[in-house]
Amino acid sequence: MGEEDRRDRLLERVVTELRRPVMLSPGFEARVMAAVRAGRRPAAWRRALRWLVRPRWVAVTPLEAAGMAAALVAVALGGALLVRSASRPAPAEPAGQVGAAPGAHPGTGETEVIRFVLVAPGASRVALVGDFNDWDPRAMPLRPAGDGRLWTIEVPLRAGRHEYAFVVNGRQWRVDPTAPRAVANDFGPPNSVIIVGGRSS
Amino acid sequence: MSRITRPPDVTQVTGRGRFPPSPGACAAPHIAAGTQSDVTMTALPRSVPLKNLPDPEVIRRVLDGDTEAFAVLIARHRGRLGRFAVHMLGRREDAEEALQDAFVRAYRSLARCADPARFDAWLFRILVNRCRTAGARRGRRERTFVRDEVALSQAVVEHPAPQHEWREEIRRALARLEPEQREAFLLKHVEDLGYEEMSALTGVGVSALKMRVKRACDRLRVLLSDERVREARHG
Repeated sequence: MGEEDRRDRLLERVVTELRRPVMLSPGFEARVMAAVRAGRRPAAWRRALRWLVRPRWVAVTPLEAAGMAAALVAVALGGALLVRSASRPAPAEPAGQVGAAPGAHPGTGETEVIRFVLVAPGASRVALVGDFNDWDPRAMPLRPAGDGRLWTIEVPLRAGRHEYAFVVNGRQWRVDPTAPRAVANDFGPPNSVIIVGGRSS
Repeated sequence: MSRITRPPDVTQVTGRGRFPPSPGACAAPHIAAGTQSDVTMTALPRSVPLKNLPDPEVIRRVLDGDTEAFAVLIARHRGRLGRFAVHMLGRREDAEEALQDAFVRAYRSLARCADPARFDAWLFRILVNRCRTAGARRGRRERTFVRDEVALSQAVVEHPAPQHEWREEIRRALARLEPEQREAFLLKHVEDLGYEEMSALTGVGVSALKMRVKRACDRLRVLLSDERVREARHG
């Protein structure tokens, strides 16, 4: 019994010692902030390049179009609508397809303009975040449409698989209710997945 | 600093297939447009210094574009996180590298912190993962790192106080634990987490964690008694 007691006192002393604050080097905070700022800049630069390198004529389908409206009603809460990017000068046909197009051509460099739609009544701001903008909630703000319930943005996306989500009011993470979910990561809530490309005309 | 009271991935588990994904984190879908919705925030006047604001408010400012506000979060959380990283990795440079990595990752994914009120738990989880990666990378090639560190620190302190010696003894013993035992021991006894929280944090089952903690305690008792015996002989 005495032995047991002494052993537990030993561990208690260990824990007491380990709970003491540890010293970090004096410039630690400044170094981390430098890394944080440095991490920002290439991201913005890459984003800009992505947009510049592939200038595409963006065909926007009017949301009021009956077919589109029907599609929206069908999905009830919104989703990613695929709008063909016009590589020809003629206006693209309204695709009106909800969700991600099947099949992908990763690495072909093809881009398509995707319209993302989220129904978020009462939101003051909505942003699109994804691997295509380094999850930066400032990069791609959605615009309110109609009565302010509907938020939209058109984004040219490279062919392939993309993970994304919406950020409502800068803090609420929302998956796309119409899109498949990505495998969970270690950062928290799940993401949605869209596969761009593979729609031959 | 608040303890981890709810596993960080609860939202992930319960939120799957629901809309909004997490009732806890995203409980305010009906927000009057243009008004600040969050109850905790409306009461805070602009004049409150940034460093006195709660995490969710600081996070909101960072997400609004005030990158420098992130420094407040670093200053606030580096103590607890740094302590874990130092004990976990044994060497301060490694610990600081893992910690910096965790902060930078947290910054990049800040919008994905589903529950800003529990930012500390979310951040801690990222750090635990970074420490695992760093530990695995280092592997077993540097078995003697704690000894080096001791030599270095004793060169500075010519007559180490008994407290200092005891600290080094503990460091040596910790370094000789298996990494997963060390992790479990630190989370349980130094961070004072419950097994459920630890399980959510590490992705390891409760019974396996209990076993790790037990083995870590047993091993520490033996190692530290050995040290005592050896020292007694030399002394």
